[in-house]
Amino acid sequence: MDKNKHLDSVISTHQITKEEILFDKYVKKKNEVKEALEEQYGSNIYTPFNSGSYAKNTAINTKFDFDLVTPFKRNAFGSNGTLKEMYEDVYDFLYEKYKDVAVVKKQKVSIGLEFYADSDGDVIKIDVVPGRELSQDQYKEDENLNLYVYYKYGNIDAGSERIKTNVKAQINNIKDRATTEKDSIRKIIRLLKVWKNSKYNYPTKSFFLELITIKSFDSKCITGSIWDKLETVLEYIRDNVTKEDFTLKDPGNSSNDLADTLTSTEKQQLSDDMKNMLDRIEDNDENLKTYFPENSKFKKEDTNNNQYGKNSGMPIPPPKLIFG
Amino acid sequence: MILKIEKIGLSLEVEDELLNKLLEIGKTHYPKEFGGFLIGYYSEDNKHLHITDKILPKKYQASKYNFVRSTKGIENELAEFYAENLRKIYIGEWHTHPDNSPKPSVTDISAINTIINSKKTSIANPVLLIIGYSKTTADFGFYVWFENKLYKYE
Repeated sequence: MDKNKHLDSVISTHQITKEEILFDKYVKKKNEVKEALEEQYGSNIYTPFNSGSYAKNTAINTKFDFDLVTPFKRNAFGSNGTLKEMYEDVYDFLYEKYKDVAVVKKQKVSIGLEFYADSDGDVIKIDVVPGRELSQDQYKEDENLNLYVYYKYGNIDAGSERIKTNVKAQINNIKDRATTEKDSIRKIIRLLKVWKNSKYNYPTKSFFLELITIKSFDSKCITGSIWDKLETVLEYIRDNVTKEDFTLKDPGNSSNDLADTLTSTEKQQLSDDMKNMLDRIEDNDENLKTYFPENSKFKKEDTNNNQYGKNSGMPIPPPKLIFG
Repeated sequence: MILKIEKIGLSLEVEDELLNKLLEIGKTHYPKEFGGFLIGYYSEDNKHLHITDKILPKKYQASKYNFVRSTKGIENELAEFYAENLRKIYIGEWHTHPDNSPKPSVTDISAINTIINSKKTSIANPVLLIIGYSKTTADFGFYVWFENKLYKYE
């Protein structure tokens, strides 16, 4: 089996452009929500923007990731307004507006909108992330935001209900790379997301996989074919994620360590999974297909240019054949 | 019925009537194996095969676990199919496995190799139909040789 050919097919069959109609629905819905927020909050917000995997160009078509960051001005809820008030206000507004057409729910730092299936059976999910600048007009300078952490999901230290972040810095973490390296990093991130999505409820966040891929590219010289690069990143995760001093700094806020989002047991599981995967692929190339499956929905048009062999003239069967 | 091999994107079509006819003929030779030639044509894009007819061998030898057929005496029939508007051709072989499953034996795979290595045959992807049957059951297995491997149609 040609491992590189297969991995190229995994990436191409998961390209977001393959789901053009569904993707257009997402963009349309995202714009509707964005306009509703702008209309509701007027001069109290800066322009909302998309920060999900599409913005980072690491999206795959089996799981769209649309996060709409809504940056509020410092005094949007009065000079004494709290982040909680901001979060609750956005939730109340979205709930009232969409309660008849979507499930509206509070999530860790966002409000999830899950629109009911349309006539094609498509479900659109958009997460609205309310954030507030740290001081008046500061957002225009450095784009730092404070996010409210909804406690139900929070494991932030007691007393803390905010996360400082810089979503633009997170997006630019990949965008600022050299073109060839950027392309490789994005491909590896997409492949790791395909692997993660093949498992049910895997504890490792996509953002974790993004950062660890980038860190492995920073830590060692990663060259060669797409399989060579993927193998190096898998080895890096296997060998490093369980180390005590291992950190994964959020480029949006260096005091956020994504390594803390996994327990030591979950880190060990991730390392073991990488080891097993590498061992089984070493045993038999074909096992690569189990971990990194093509998107069968688009496989046919991509890979099947096969034909029955053409004939010239009238085929004559072999004079004598033996069957058993 | 229409059968496909998703992995390589090739399909084939065959009428139930023809399959039942082959089974019926095969059963008349029980407990010995029996078989013959399959005739059909490829679609314009060469991705689909329509099996339309059969030719029965005039000379053959058979036992319960073996079947040897010759092409002697079938030349005219082949030419007649080829002369039809649709230009039907020899596309593979069929045989029975009495009281057994329709899985290809080593001898069957060897026969397939003989077909692809025969210059006069000039078909790159011969089809093999095996009919495994007993008194109460019948199972049809269609296979094609493609890029050095035997694939089963599902």
